Amino acid sequence: MELIVISSVWCPSCLIMHPRYVELSQKYHLTLTNYDYDTDASIISKYHVGDILPVCIIVKDEEIERIIGEKSMKELNKIIESLM
Amino acid sequence: MNVKAENKVKVYLFYGDGCPHCADEKEFFKDLKEQYDDRVEFIYYEVWKNEENDKLMNLLKQKLDNNEKGVPFTIIGSNSFIGYNTNVHYQIEETIKALLEDDEKNIDVVSEILANKEIDIDQSKLKFEDGTFKIPLLGKIDARKVSLPLISIVIGLVDGFNPCAMWVLLFLLSILIGMQNKKRAFCLGITFLVASASVYLLFMFAWLGIAISMKDVAILRTLVAMVALIGAFINIKAFFTKSADGCTVTDAKKKQKVFEKIKKFTSEKSFILAIIGIITLAVSVNLIELACSAGLPLLFTQILSFNKLSGIEYALYIGLYILFFMLDDIIIFSIAMITMKLTGISNKYTKYSHLIGGIIMLLIGLLLIFKPSILMFNL
Repeated sequence: MELIVISSVWCPSCLIMHPRYVELSQKYHLTLTNYDYDTDASIISKYHVGDILPVCIIVKDEEIERIIGEKSMKELNKIIESLM
Repeated sequence: MNVKAENKVKVYLFYGDGCPHCADEKEFFKDLKEQYDDRVEFIYYEVWKNEENDKLMNLLKQKLDNNEKGVPFTIIGSNSFIGYNTNVHYQIEETIKALLEDDEKNIDVVSEILANKEIDIDQSKLKFEDGTFKIPLLGKIDARKVSLPLISIVIGLVDGFNPCAMWVLLFLLSILIGMQNKKRAFCLGITFLVASASVYLLFMFAWLGIAISMKDVAILRTLVAMVALIGAFINIKAFFTKSADGCTVTDAKKKQKVFEKIKKFTSEKSFILAIIGIITLAVSVNLIELACSAGLPLLFTQILSFNKLSGIEYALYIGLYILFFMLDDIIIFSIAMITMKLTGISNKYTKYSHLIGGIIMLLIGLLLIFKPSILMFNL
């Protein structure tokens, strides 16, 4: 399972979520790739990110879940465990 | 309205023939006449043409130790008012109500003075409820003195708390942190904050100027009340409809342009050009920002204009407002400069600031319409 997180430098919520996704990926040994909403616009266009950031796309061969905006560590753990 | 004693209140008005404020006040007295009919008697003295009345006015001004120049000059009991505006309008209304219900205080001081009897002015002088109350430790607090600073801080905080509106600052900081020349980075950051604060300062002084100059215009007050109620609706609705707690990516193109400018200015060789660039950026970005948050500053300056304050006091309260308006920016900036790391403020709480802001605007809107005198703290 892989986490693809799309965020941007100017978005406070993304700054809050970044360490949480790092911790999450270490805890469940998931690969984590970070893209920037502005600079990597071409790469992430296929994900059709809405207008709320950050967005975390969970991929297991293909996209199985999408987390939008700010979530607490507790909520993140629950989501990942439900997908394991 | 049950009136205890069937006593009568006399209202003396010294006016100038052709004086616009006097005409407004006479118009106001016509409505009062309808409302109170024989319980309130209005006695007029024209002072611009009639020498004797003018002498009488000056004698009374001197006796009632209210020696401000000019007309209209109104006396009710031993309370006297110079000029006519929204404050005076409500003070007259409340004085009449108070004297109707409290006949000890309702002494016809003018006829006493005319019959040159000695009269104790203070005995029947009404002090508008001084609104003091006790707080443990802090002791006696005068609600009037505390409320204005409190309102400046609360509305300033609520108005300013929008983490996503800090996208320019965060982007700028992300670059400043990367710069080798720490001193230069610090100066650019401070320049951005100061320039943004000055834009708000000028904007709010403009609003204040308008509010003061049109103080007696009732339409302005209802207009501002409408803005307050609409703003309240928008803010409260935003609280309930906010989907996920994140930053909404609005008009990416606009952001791209600003990012380009920031990169250009921060990499500017000459320090002066970089500073000027940052200032122009701060001004342009904040002018747009102001357009969408015009609700609360407008209301705040309206409340300020209700209170008789000196220029410095107006500046102090607006300064306090802006200090708390920019508190989140200042915190982020200082953390970034100290730790060389960017910290974000969770956007979870923004919707609560929408709710609180909405409620404050609703309250002010309703007060502006039904009981504006409550917003007049230090008469």
